Amino acid sequence: MSRSVRYSSSPLLASKTPVWRSKFIVAAIALGFAVLAARAAHVQIFGNAFFQRQGEVRFVRTLELPASRGRIMDRNGLILASNIPAASIWAIPEDVNATPAQLKELAQLLEIPLTELSSKLGNEDKSFVWLKRQVEEPVAKRITELGLKGIHQDSGFKRQYPDGEATAHVIGFTNIENTGLDGMELTFEKHLLGRSGSRRVIKDGKGRVVEDIRDKVPPVDGKDLQLSLDSKVQFFAYQKLRETVTAQKAKGGSVVVLDAVTGEVLALANYPSYMPDKRKNLTGEQLRNRAVTDTFEPGSTMKPITVAMALEAGRVTPQTLIDTGPGRYAIGGFNITDTHNYGTLTVEGVIQKSSNVGALKIAQKMSPHEMWDTFTALGYGQKPQIQFRGAVTGRVRPWKTWRPVEQATMSYGYGLSASLFQMAHSYTAFAHDGRIIPLTMLKSTEPAVGVKVFSPENAQAVRRMLQMAAAPGGTGQLAQTVGYSVGGKSGTAHKQVGKGYASDKYRAWFTGMAPIDTPRIIVAVMIDEPSNGQYFGGVVAAPVFSEVVQQTLRLMNVQPDVTVKPQIVANPVEESL
Amino acid sequence: MIRVNVLLLVAVVLSALYLVHIQYESRRLFVELEKAALQMRKLEMDSESALAEKRAQATPMRVDKLAKEKLQMQPATPAITQYVALRDAAAVPAPAKP
Repeated sequence: MSRSVRYSSSPLLASKTPVWRSKFIVAAIALGFAVLAARAAHVQIFGNAFFQRQGEVRFVRTLELPASRGRIMDRNGLILASNIPAASIWAIPEDVNATPAQLKELAQLLEIPLTELSSKLGNEDKSFVWLKRQVEEPVAKRITELGLKGIHQDSGFKRQYPDGEATAHVIGFTNIENTGLDGMELTFEKHLLGRSGSRRVIKDGKGRVVEDIRDKVPPVDGKDLQLSLDSKVQFFAYQKLRETVTAQKAKGGSVVVLDAVTGEVLALANYPSYMPDKRKNLTGEQLRNRAVTDTFEPGSTMKPITVAMALEAGRVTPQTLIDTGPGRYAIGGFNITDTHNYGTLTVEGVIQKSSNVGALKIAQKMSPHEMWDTFTALGYGQKPQIQFRGAVTGRVRPWKTWRPVEQATMSYGYGLSASLFQMAHSYTAFAHDGRIIPLTMLKSTEPAVGVKVFSPENAQAVRRMLQMAAAPGGTGQLAQTVGYSVGGKSGTAHKQVGKGYASDKYRAWFTGMAPIDTPRIIVAVMIDEPSNGQYFGGVVAAPVFSEVVQQTLRLMNVQPDVTVKPQIVANPVEESL
Repeated sequence: MIRVNVLLLVAVVLSALYLVHIQYESRRLFVELEKAALQMRKLEMDSESALAEKRAQATPMRVDKLAKEKLQMQPATPAITQYVALRDAAAVPAPAKP
């Protein structure tokens, strides 16, 4: 049974409230406020830095703004290396719960064996695993469409090289982090790299950027690089080289094409080569930039240099008679021979017939010191000043240690070594009226300023001899082209194996220039171990020279300097060349 | 006095609400700006890849192959080139000295 309470007459209300109670309540509330004020002061004044930091840890992020790597272009602005978007695919193994069919499809898209993919995803101890890096965008898109849980992507870039194997040794390549590892990519790393920027931002709960809290540091993109290379000349040079190396069953080969006026490298090709973006299972044979890293004895290519130095020193004239009979010469216990007994030859004839005896007799009119000085001035035994890491120096021993037989053999290119690039460089002295010019891989429009080694008259005299050597009756007549006068010197040498020479292994080359009166280009060709029966430089390397000269001068719009019998007919399909 | 206080209170409340709105609006616009910047970056990348693709389709190697195989063309040589001299010689680049 309920009992009503009569509040108005409650004895509790009737009793007088003690004053301390209200005072206590007020004090308690005041204390509460004081605590709040103290806390506010702690948070906002004394501990401010700490709380600020904690807030930032939760919401503020520093984003990196990646800089894009500069492009590499040829002299006409055609792209030789550029960036294309590429995603890197990664996974959190324990989150992945794909069906076997989905895994199979993923493996196919990633182009990796299913077993490899399964083993990567099977390791549940790992919280992160790369599945494949630098996947091209269309593939990455299809992977996104699979909608697999636990599979993620990071966007990025990868380098693309449109000319592929033709320019591989010059351009080089980058690693997965886009750092240059070889060729121009390595040499000009700083120029191409750029500097990444950054920004401090606040992100909301959904991970969206909602505010910049500081001015952003913008990324500085890498600068583009314009090379002296002409991608068409490069392609022709590479194509001809590849055809010849294959036809001659050779081990490899190189071609160097130089602009004789500006000192620019127009093409530099090696075979065998590789695709810069598919670098699995590569061998040193493919990776090596033979033209600058392989040295060999220059052989007959040195004879014009011997003659030029003798002309310069006034010991001979182009018409001086040299007795090369009976085709051999004994010196220091060695017998130096020619292929035939040429009898008495003029100095010009020595070059034309490539007589070893003639060359050594001319060299005997010089002192070792004079020869060494000229070799050095022409870059032999010196590190080439070119933008290639690993360009070799070659070898020319100090002249004081030369024995008479060595001085004799050096006159026709044995006992010293050089790379094909050095040989081509030394010939700029003949092409540039006696001045050796610095070479560059970068585009330049100014004629190069050279250092005088020979007088213009002597350089012209040697050019005439080179023309004779490449003309009917000379050793390099296959170097002839249609419409352009050429001059050059072939060379053939037994390859060095261990301490001696291999009797059945040869190296053949040809170095020359065109048009011969006012040279525009210098072309050097080397074929390593031709083994299809032919091995002379004039037979194996000279045709490559001829084709490369022909195409390069045409591409450079150089007008022919030799009258050609026109073969223009109505129906171009039936033309014979 | 009370009226002024109430007026000020209302003004403070309104201003506070406006501030919240502006803050919200600024963040919304910022997100949009971000999206646009991202879009710009993406379009730049697309243009770059399109250029790379165009270049890859026009490499000398491919052009040479197609010209030879599909069009039965041959490399030009001086033997099948007709050289003509222009009357106004100054208008053309100087040819190499014959």
